[in-house]
Amino acid sequence: MKVLRSKGPEIFDIELEKDLLAKNRSLARENRKKLDSLKILAIDIMGSIGSGKTSLIKAILKELVMGKKVAVIAGDLTTTIDAERIEVEGARVIQVNTGKECHLDANVIHQAVDKMKLDGVKVLFIENVGNLICPGEFPLGAHKRLVVVSVTEGPYTIVKHPYIFREADVIVLNKIDLAKAMKIDLSQLKKDAQKVNPKVPFIKTNALRGVGISEVIHALGLRP
Amino acid sequence: MHEFSISSEIVKTVLDTVEKSEGKKVLSIQLEMGELALLNTEQVTYWIQELFKGTIAEGARIKVKTIKAQLQCNSCGYKGRNISKEKDIFHHSIPLICPKCGSLEIKVEKGRECILRRIQVMK
Repeated sequence: MKVLRSKGPEIFDIELEKDLLAKNRSLARENRKKLDSLKILAIDIMGSIGSGKTSLIKAILKELVMGKKVAVIAGDLTTTIDAERIEVEGARVIQVNTGKECHLDANVIHQAVDKMKLDGVKVLFIENVGNLICPGEFPLGAHKRLVVVSVTEGPYTIVKHPYIFREADVIVLNKIDLAKAMKIDLSQLKKDAQKVNPKVPFIKTNALRGVGISEVIHALGLRP
Repeated sequence: MHEFSISSEIVKTVLDTVEKSEGKKVLSIQLEMGELALLNTEQVTYWIQELFKGTIAEGARIKVKTIKAQLQCNSCGYKGRNISKEKDIFHHSIPLICPKCGSLEIKVEKGRECILRRIQVMK
């Protein structure tokens, strides 16, 4: 809606009410509707650079053994490294390179979903760009949001980024095998997570070895 | 970090809107930003100015009005602003707990917007 209000012959005001963040939220709702109509469960995987998002997806795919019934959208600034790593697990993959953007947004997902062949797909993983700040502000329309944090990020990652952990439906603490070397108290990290988001599952994993992966699968509702 | 993408979106919207209305020059734009939006006002203003360069909006004034936060607690019914406490480690973030009863069942009703409200144009 736009109203023109004259301020003399030369100058006029254009009034509008365009909430730029609301636009992403409404596109996310459209994505959700489309995924629902296709009967696809979509999961947004968020976490820092190097936290183990791709390794976690690979470990889940290994255990699920659903082949082409799983699709993955891998988001990164550049390269197709992640798509190639995931492809060997048998899933359909599309790599989205954001170029300069620090997060995926609902519009990018809208386009990716349009381009992908999704016949027979039951589960869609969306691997967000490695970042603990921006993705929290940009919902994509996924049914569940998982945040993965690793012990190699040090003891304060959860305390310093409460918002994204508050948004999560599942919190995964990865690389627990390195806790001793990193002098990390796993129970303190759990307390930090539960302080901001007490209701969601907090699962400890070692994605490379498959530790804790069946719990993650269960928490995401991928297996009863 | 995502100030650049939001600023690009604002600039594109301004230029598209002005083109449709057959304006010749943009004099000013008015933004309304929620105090809890994860956006840095100075960075947004800077990027818009940069992206306006070389367009009909170059040099336009960018006015920013802050929208005060409005919280609603589903546990105790508290309605109002977030009261930031110096000792609260989350004092500078989106509030996670009710300032009155400490419940986590708190919703941000207002204060997370980024609205393009008005464009002043010369014919």
